[in-house]
Amino acid sequence: MAVYKRGYERYDGPLTSHTTRLLAMPRFAWARLMDQKLVVILLALSMLWPLLCGGFIYLANHLSLLQGFGGKDLGKMVEINGKFFLIFMNTQAVFSVLLAALTGPGLIAPDLANNALPLYFSRPLTRLDYIGARMAVLVALLSMITWIPGSVLFVMQSSMAGRTWFAANWHLGGAIVGGFLLRIALLSMVALTCSAWVKWRIVAGALVLGFFFILAGVSQMINAILRVEFGSLFNPSRAMYIIWSAMLGVEAPSGPTAWECVSVLAGLVVVLAMILERKLRPVEVIS
Amino acid sequence: MPSVIEIDNLRVMLGRREILKGISCRLGISGAGKAIGLLGPNGAGKSTLIQTLLGFHRPISGSARVMGYDCHRQVRQVRSRIGYMPESDSFIGNMTAVSFLRLMGEISGLPREVALEKAHETLFHVGLGEARYRTLGTYSLGMKQMAKLAQAIVHGPELVILDEPTNGLDPQARQRMLKLVREMKEDHGMNVVLCSHLLGDVEQVCDEVVIMKDGLVVHQADLEAERKSNRRFVELEVAGDDSTLAESLAALGADALSEGGGRWRIVMPAQLEISDLWQVMAKLDLPVRKLTHRRDTLEEIFLKAVGHLQRTPAEAKEVVVNGSL
Repeated sequence: MAVYKRGYERYDGPLTSHTTRLLAMPRFAWARLMDQKLVVILLALSMLWPLLCGGFIYLANHLSLLQGFGGKDLGKMVEINGKFFLIFMNTQAVFSVLLAALTGPGLIAPDLANNALPLYFSRPLTRLDYIGARMAVLVALLSMITWIPGSVLFVMQSSMAGRTWFAANWHLGGAIVGGFLLRIALLSMVALTCSAWVKWRIVAGALVLGFFFILAGVSQMINAILRVEFGSLFNPSRAMYIIWSAMLGVEAPSGPTAWECVSVLAGLVVVLAMILERKLRPVEVIS
Repeated sequence: MPSVIEIDNLRVMLGRREILKGISCRLGISGAGKAIGLLGPNGAGKSTLIQTLLGFHRPISGSARVMGYDCHRQVRQVRSRIGYMPESDSFIGNMTAVSFLRLMGEISGLPREVALEKAHETLFHVGLGEARYRTLGTYSLGMKQMAKLAQAIVHGPELVILDEPTNGLDPQARQRMLKLVREMKEDHGMNVVLCSHLLGDVEQVCDEVVIMKDGLVVHQADLEAERKSNRRFVELEVAGDDSTLAESLAALGADALSEGGGRWRIVMPAQLEISDLWQVMAKLDLPVRKLTHRRDTLEEIFLKAVGHLQRTPAEAKEVVVNGSL
């Protein structure tokens, strides 16, 4: 029977599980994100560097193809090691910031601007569920340009270079996945907090970019004025670079140690989580 | 069967202010399709009570139960049985009404296909069928109110909490909204909590009413019982010789008091109908100028409860009639 001819009837059938209900939120949010051309374009652009790196790995393992261009000398230049993956990760990190700045604010800010939180929280959802569902969108999106292509490159290199290379560099696989997951966790928290802090999407996006650029500037100022190196701790990108260097076994730049950076970033994530917890309430209570 | 809402010495603080100061009441019978009106002046604590029932605020003492589930400890069970229509605009502006309702249905536990079906069905039910593919941001105020109602009932909850549902509606839309609310309880067996400043809305729709003031329940009334009891008080005005009227009415078991000039106040026993009075008038050949039920309107009950009236007119009348007879 056509819907318009059928009257309203209460649903009394079986209900779905809590997990299924939770997954509905990222599914709808994902569909809305993919409707935005800019997001799709940036996502496609973010795939270019992994493709180039893939080509690079192929050539590095098929030097015979480069014989006409001085292949043996090139072979020394294009060694696939921790440094190669560090460069790959750093480039993808830039795209991940841009993508988080573009997509993150659209996840929470519209709900706050339209006062939709009471609707979500009047259903069987907790704040943690809501944040988890929103974060899942960013994690999935950023994974597509970070650890997934990184793992593909690692597997590709392992399969082409053989067991000897894998035996000597197996830790790189874990470092790529772990390092990127740390980055995604930090980025997602920054993007969601900015989105919850500012109701305007564009301003929230600018805030995400500003967070990284301004803190980078502040850390440079601290280092320059006080003639110290610990200022790098206040630059999340730099701190992440130091952590990745340690994970990939690449010589780390001078300054704070990887563990110091991990501690500072963990503290930052806790602060961001507290802000998020405070901002995401179904009703605002004015003391 | 548990009550729809059971509140026991509930105290809630927001910031440093105590908003609900130990309220207790039992409202409605679960599954019976009852409508409960929540009334009170601004700042009485109505919204805080609703939000506490939804688990938004943690009580500092006491408890609130919905359908037998504790609103704080069993919040998931409570919320899965509730549909909530907030007072202020609440929607996702760039979503179409169908997508919005489908999302709300799915996070309430409807399977995907059912959620889509129910989204269409509910939008037609509230009169937004033709506009269901438009984004919510383009809706008029009245349409937004209907969309809010639709999201509250899309999953077929046992209890629907409506916070000022007729706000900003023109008279026609208001009547439509009230009709939908009546249908929800009468045809679909949903329990309804209606929070409104418009006493007429509550009077038209609700079976019970709770009046709050300064964080306390100051009056709780069964409107159906009030309506029945109000039928007992009649004001009558007749022309001609009414000297035998008191005697005739007494024979029927009614207490009557003459106010002079053909005006009478009558307290009728429960079994007596208005038609019996008409028969007496016809028998005595008394032309009736006026016959009205003098009753306590909800407005009078409300004003008395919040302290603006000493007693309602019907109570005053009862004292006069009983005192003089």
